[in-house]
Amino acid sequence: MTAMPTDRARRTRRGLLWALLISVIVLYAFPFGYLVLTSFKTPGEAIAVPPSILPGTWSVENYEQALNTRGVRPAFLNSVSAAVLSTGLSLLLAVPAAYGVTRFGTVSGRVFVMAALVTRMVPPVALGVPLVDMMGDLALTDTPTGLALAHTTISLPLSIWLMVSFFEAVPRELEEAALVDGCGRVGALIRVVLPVVSGGMAVTAIFAFLASWNEYLFSLLLTAVNAQTTPIVIANFQTQYGLQWGPMTALATLYSIPVVLLTLALQRRIVAGLTLGAVKG
Amino acid sequence: MPEGRFALLLMLPAALFLGVFVAWPLVRLVADSFYEIAPLAGTREFVGLGNYADALGSPEFGDAAWRTALYTVIVVSMEFLLGLATALLFNSLGQRSRWLRTLFLYPLMIAPVVAGLLWRFLLIDNFGIVNELLTRARIIDDPADIGWLSDPDIVLFSVALPDIWLTTSFMTLVIFAGLQNVPADVLEAARLDGATFRQQLTRIILPLLRPVIAVALIVRGIDAVRAFDIIAIQTNGGPQRASETLSLLIYRTMVRSGEPGLASAMATLYLLAMLAVAFVAVATIWRPGKEPA
Repeated sequence: MTAMPTDRARRTRRGLLWALLISVIVLYAFPFGYLVLTSFKTPGEAIAVPPSILPGTWSVENYEQALNTRGVRPAFLNSVSAAVLSTGLSLLLAVPAAYGVTRFGTVSGRVFVMAALVTRMVPPVALGVPLVDMMGDLALTDTPTGLALAHTTISLPLSIWLMVSFFEAVPRELEEAALVDGCGRVGALIRVVLPVVSGGMAVTAIFAFLASWNEYLFSLLLTAVNAQTTPIVIANFQTQYGLQWGPMTALATLYSIPVVLLTLALQRRIVAGLTLGAVKG
Repeated sequence: MPEGRFALLLMLPAALFLGVFVAWPLVRLVADSFYEIAPLAGTREFVGLGNYADALGSPEFGDAAWRTALYTVIVVSMEFLLGLATALLFNSLGQRSRWLRTLFLYPLMIAPVVAGLLWRFLLIDNFGIVNELLTRARIIDDPADIGWLSDPDIVLFSVALPDIWLTTSFMTLVIFAGLQNVPADVLEAARLDGATFRQQLTRIILPLLRPVIAVALIVRGIDAVRAFDIIAIQTNGGPQRASETLSLLIYRTMVRSGEPGLASAMATLYLLAMLAVAFVAVATIWRPGKEPA
């Protein structure tokens, strides 16, 4: 039967779809919400049987314990410095390379982009095994610099791909006009093209930052004490000191805050970057 | 300076970096795979294809490879189905659902380590909230009835949950972006002709979305095959290695057993298989020549 639905039937159907969507979202939001709620319980209540959803007493004891655990504060600093260093390096290398690829349409450019794409398929563990030796040779094991270099192997190919898409969207006439006006090629790039793609550079920077901030395997292989990052410390909570779920949820919550804030502030650009990144490779 | 050389000059620093920190280590990986290396003694002995024979002959390696494939299929198919369903929901509700899309986005930014711990905490047998809620809903009798992370039969599925949770929104976003480009009048015409929702989905929407879906599946597939942190945090490969995928096995062979030569041979095989599968996938599903993505 293909009778046309009445207005009323259509409205009920719409209402049902909304209800369905909202329940999906609630279900989806629950895990992280539960983590945050747990971080405000007392350390004892966090592991109580049976578990409760809301804290019986709201407490910041988990946060105090987490922040006073040895190694937590330096790990935060290490995470920030590795992420900032590798983001800077990624942009510094990716922006000129992507510009070279898009503006001159050479064969070498296409080969280069394909090579960068292949890098994405390399399992981190396959790269991590020899990187351990190499960083040892360069005396960069357990340093934020060594870690930042390792993280850049992940973020650089992604940055190149994103920047290529952003440069492709800039009309050529723009810099041709600048060249006619007497700018050099480098001048045209810096004064005319870069301002136009600054939004794209921001997206690229966020993805590079995220790649380093969230990275675990290289940090595990390449750091010991001095350059340990927060994900390693969070993971260590479960073995070294027994099951300290309370402080661990507090530390995990703190570690997520910068990223969540960044995402909320720039969400539309991030969506653009994600879909672009996916469709382009 | 000729244009071509200027372009080359611009690409040179990035190419050098990738050469030194990606290509060269991979060359070392392949070279190491032909040696028996004892890190503590500092010895290095050429054994030809010995490590490869060991790797291919060991049931551990075969099991881990099989588990990696299964894990990838679980993760990618669940994400695709959930992502498609959610994207269709968002699409049928239109612009007014925009604020919900923002909420839906957040797990993408959460570190996999945090996601792994979080799910371990949610699923842990005696005091995990999931079993508690299932008990309260009278789906199971006792919170100890399902050992999500301790039962070897279901653990591979359980360790996939955080990955599915983290990245379903990525699938949703990409498919949603694709849906925005499906012409509304085509769907309207199909509706007027009496096409059911299922017909519209299989005859119009999915074929039109094919390139987008293919790319999303490939991207997610590559990530799932490489998964390490989420599984390492939740079970470290256990119980009884029931969740030990290739990344974890190679890590263990290298760090715990201290056999870099064998680990290198395994990693080389893993890399080669991955490149081969990825290229076949790109060539057959994507068909970039016929359908520009």
